[in-house]
Amino acid sequence: MERQVTASSAQASLVDEVAQLWAEFFTGREVGPEDDFFALGGNSMTGIKIIDRVAEDYGVQLSVRDFYLAQTPSRVAELIEQGRSAT
Amino acid sequence: MRLTPGPAGDVDLDTVNLFDLDLYTSGDPHRIWDVMRDKAPVHHQVLPDGREFWSVTRYEDVCRVLGDHREFTSERGTVPTHLGTDDEAAGVLMTSTDPPRHTEVRRPLGSKLTARAVRSWEDSIRATIVRFLEPALDGEPYDLAERALLLPAMVTGPLLGIPAKDWEELVQLTAMVTAPTDRHFLVGHEAATLAISHHELVNYVRDWARSRRATGGEDDSLLHHLMSVRPGGEPLTDEEIALDGYSILLGANVTTPHTVSGTVQALIERPEQFEKAQADHSLIPNLVEEGLRWTSAACNFMRYAVDDVELDGGVIPARGAVVAWIGSANRDAAQFADPHTFDITRPNAKRQVAFGYGPHFCIGAPLARMTLRIFFEELLQRFGSLELAGDPEHLRSYFIAGMTHLPIVAQERRTP
Repeated sequence: MERQVTASSAQASLVDEVAQLWAEFFTGREVGPEDDFFALGGNSMTGIKIIDRVAEDYGVQLSVRDFYLAQTPSRVAELIEQGRSAT
Repeated sequence: MRLTPGPAGDVDLDTVNLFDLDLYTSGDPHRIWDVMRDKAPVHHQVLPDGREFWSVTRYEDVCRVLGDHREFTSERGTVPTHLGTDDEAAGVLMTSTDPPRHTEVRRPLGSKLTARAVRSWEDSIRATIVRFLEPALDGEPYDLAERALLLPAMVTGPLLGIPAKDWEELVQLTAMVTAPTDRHFLVGHEAATLAISHHELVNYVRDWARSRRATGGEDDSLLHHLMSVRPGGEPLTDEEIALDGYSILLGANVTTPHTVSGTVQALIERPEQFEKAQADHSLIPNLVEEGLRWTSAACNFMRYAVDDVELDGGVIPARGAVVAWIGSANRDAAQFADPHTFDITRPNAKRQVAFGYGPHFCIGAPLARMTLRIFFEELLQRFGSLELAGDPEHLRSYFIAGMTHLPIVAQERRTP
């Protein structure tokens, strides 16, 4: 699948990491930086797991509401960076 | 949803969309169900996105679909939002589990909610309801539907083990689950609203259980009971505790308010029945049953056919989704004479199926019945008259039939 150029303000490497993390929970799918969480088949069960993993891997507790409104790996990466810089 | 149907009109069963939300906010679903019971008791619909389902609308068929778990399984999902993707919580969430596992999990929880068990809460529930009705006594406009959204939380909060500070948020979350595009509850878009609310509710119970375990606290609350039951000899997993707690919170919060407001609306429209009940409180239990029948707040539940199954109106193919329209069953003339007449003296009102039917019959039914009885005892005793003070606004949902606004004005009762 072609990688799209992301307009994210987050570091490209973080965006890629987030996309790969998501892919673990969407078994059998490749996840790109602008892919929509819900279009991939995501729901609260997936969201709970992803938010837990982000807390483990990055030490950032994403707000539930912000996560589901962010919807793409590149915007979630922005949230993680905001969370890191806030501490 | 509109509860007193309007005049019968033309209904094209080939093009009707039972999941059209506008139908429930401003249309007349009962007139459509009337035609379906008569002409298409098994009705097949294909949604614009290609998902399909079969609807049953007759009392007998609704009972069969909800009651027979061998023919109609709950394990692929039981609420319309599951249509299209099988419920991932199958076998873990009690409502998405079939017997025998379902029976094992339900039994210890159900024993805490029997009519006998809930009797000890009568006085505290009465005190809560008196507090709830107090603001209406000053004769100013009082939005019953809006306020009633919080009533179940006020009643069940202490029983479930939920602190008062959390009630409003939990009520908002449970409403988001059932009406994600209603203007009061939408956050961003529908899928986000559903995900946020499910997630926050499950998190809430999960965190609650964790902190209980850490402090070793014990009490008589239902959520605590979830942690200590041993169905089949094993404790519930954390996931089961979280999901069942979520399910109980949902069931507790999202239905009773609409039975309260819809039944009060029916009484306001029929003052002779209001007066009859006021003069004779022994009529109240049947008033409650007729109110449940009339309002059918849980409007439908879904099952999936296991094999091909033949009903009176047609065959449902194996693995087909079947929506059992409880709101329609409760207006089936084969069961209830003059079904669209609200009558608190209706002799067979108790046959209503607003609590469902079969193994998944509402676990909170005795508590709901008691709460409603007490509510109407206090209402009829305190208020001389009730009047509508504005138009109702209907909840934007095909799953829960209800109102978000019902402005009324109450006059305090003068004579004893």
